[in-house]
Amino acid sequence: MNPIQTSHLKEREARFKRPAFFLRLLLLAFFFATPLTFRSFEILDVVLKIIIFSALVASYDVVLGYTGIVSLGHTMYFGIGAYLVGIFMGKLGWISYGDLALALLIAVVISGILSVLIGFFSLRIRAIFFAMVTLAFLEFTFILSSQLRPITGGEDGISFKLPGILALDYRLGQFLGIEFTGRIMSYYLILLISLILFLLMLRFVHSPLGRVLQSIRDNEQRSIALGYRTYVYQVIGSSFASCVAAVTGGCFAIWVRYVSPDSSLSVPIMLDVLLMVIVGGMGTLYGGIFGAAFLVITRAFLPKIQVLIASLLPGVPFAIRLSERWLFYFGLLFILIVYFFPKGIVGTAQEIFARRKGEG
Amino acid sequence: MSAQQKAWLSKLAVVALFVLPILFISPKTYITLTVSGVAMGMLLFLVSSGFSLIFGFMSVLNLAHGALFAWGAYIGFTAFSLINQWTGWGGSNVVFLNILIFLLALVVAGMGVAVLGIVTERLVIRPVYGSHLFQIFITVGAMIVMEELIRIVWGPDDEVMPVPISFIGSWDVFDVVVAKYPLIAIVIGLILYLGIYSLLKRTKLGMIVRAGVENPEMVQVMGHNIYRYFTGVFAAGSALAAIGGGMWATFVKSIHPAMGGEVIVFALIVAIIGGLGSMTGSVVGALMVGLSYNYVAYLIPKAALGITMLLLIVILLIRPTGLFPEGT
Repeated sequence: MNPIQTSHLKEREARFKRPAFFLRLLLLAFFFATPLTFRSFEILDVVLKIIIFSALVASYDVVLGYTGIVSLGHTMYFGIGAYLVGIFMGKLGWISYGDLALALLIAVVISGILSVLIGFFSLRIRAIFFAMVTLAFLEFTFILSSQLRPITGGEDGISFKLPGILALDYRLGQFLGIEFTGRIMSYYLILLISLILFLLMLRFVHSPLGRVLQSIRDNEQRSIALGYRTYVYQVIGSSFASCVAAVTGGCFAIWVRYVSPDSSLSVPIMLDVLLMVIVGGMGTLYGGIFGAAFLVITRAFLPKIQVLIASLLPGVPFAIRLSERWLFYFGLLFILIVYFFPKGIVGTAQEIFARRKGEG
Repeated sequence: MSAQQKAWLSKLAVVALFVLPILFISPKTYITLTVSGVAMGMLLFLVSSGFSLIFGFMSVLNLAHGALFAWGAYIGFTAFSLINQWTGWGGSNVVFLNILIFLLALVVAGMGVAVLGIVTERLVIRPVYGSHLFQIFITVGAMIVMEELIRIVWGPDDEVMPVPISFIGSWDVFDVVVAKYPLIAIVIGLILYLGIYSLLKRTKLGMIVRAGVENPEMVQVMGHNIYRYFTGVFAAGSALAAIGGGMWATFVKSIHPAMGGEVIVFALIVAIIGGLGSMTGSVVGALMVGLSYNYVAYLIPKAALGITMLLLIVILLIRPTGLFPEGT
């Protein structure tokens, strides 16, 4: 047995003894129990958005933190997924489980092809071109989606109904005092899909292919010297992440039953995802959960904070104006995090634990 | 065929591509469209030249460039309004005073944003030199902060940009309608291009900056404090963005806080097409984007942005380093 295999074996044995493993199980149990414990739709909405954005941010982390290339158009694939579900259910009126699956499948295929193409002509020269080209593409699809009125419904977007147990008027009946409606069914469906996606991504980054991607991220010259065609690997990594993002976009559309350029394709969503990744920590996958939780919860409570400030400081228009501009503080947060916590929450925590282990 | 002939042939092909639309458009409209296309190109040049120079020289992908552009437009707007209130030059019948107040507003915008650029470079960008990833994060943060500051200072609503009275309307040259302001924009753009070009080509300062685009380490070895030049180039790039912002605002006659985000994408595309760090590349790329955008917007309005993307893709496929790679 060679040293790598022994270390693998050790890791596998220790896997179920670590506290991190139980923390993850606890988190999953929390997500699973949310609809059963909280009755209010607001809380359910916040928790589900955390789940969807965790998966989306994790997929972005595969590009940014594991493949090491900067994409500024990752939410384009999110939007493609959302729009395909919207077009199938709303515009074409094909409301059945099969069509829902087909919409997601087509979204994955389109995203895959598109990201391979973009990767092909922009990653070849300099990785930094990729950032610019993807940003241009995001802006382009945003404008396209608001202009192609017959297909995408223009700026108004599309609202639609969902089939069978996902429909809003569906009632399964009472169980343990909780009414199982279409909403709760969609919640569990999306939780299941997100969980599968998350496990898939974990598998991907720890596979031999994922290791190659990490080696390219850490030292591209050396990887080239070792004989890897780095740019092919980068294209594979980014297109895998794009396919995952397309599915999360579809889930988002299933939850809100509505798509529009502003809600699924705009640049601010991309900025949100960027902030979530930095808050959580790049190259950790799990960081996405913290980042998403932080931002989604803040977003949900901001209106209340504004009301509070307005009632505390009446007649100070400048203070109210400052409190209205919460995006300003997000911008400051971007800068401050890069200064002081470049590794994010999970990255910093991992570092602290590793240091302790080294001492003890 | 020699290499020189080949180069000439490709240039001819490009020119032919831009004459082609005349087959579908009546000659008079073609001239009108060409004038506004060249004007748009010149305005894009002002935005993207600063962006391109900053990337080429400092290797910083400055996503806050669009916000600097918007700041330029807003400072220009305020300066124009204040001077006009004070002197009334904007509404006077003397063309000279009209031009004077316009240029004054642009100079104020340029200087104000240059100061803002210096502050940004010192406070925000300096700690992250060398890491593209953190530069992107931090300049995105700077972009949000600056855009929100505009909303705090000037309010979140659209404003109508005042235009000097003699800039409004058009001339009738042999039945061809030529709008006045685009011609003024072309002239100012050309003057600025020639100014920057000769600054880069003819002076020692320009030589150092051009050398820095090619090899920053070597410039340092020669005993120049490259960080001082970084600050200078960033300030100059910001000033160019601000002048572009002021002129763009006069072109579309309105300003709003998010105006930078729309233009930054064009600046990116122009900078990639022209070759990062190249002034001539910026001007050629901007003209190509401006002209093709205007022709297609007239023929098939919805495909206008599509043609810009197509241009980007074609250039990336056949000349991935841009039309004029590095420092020419």
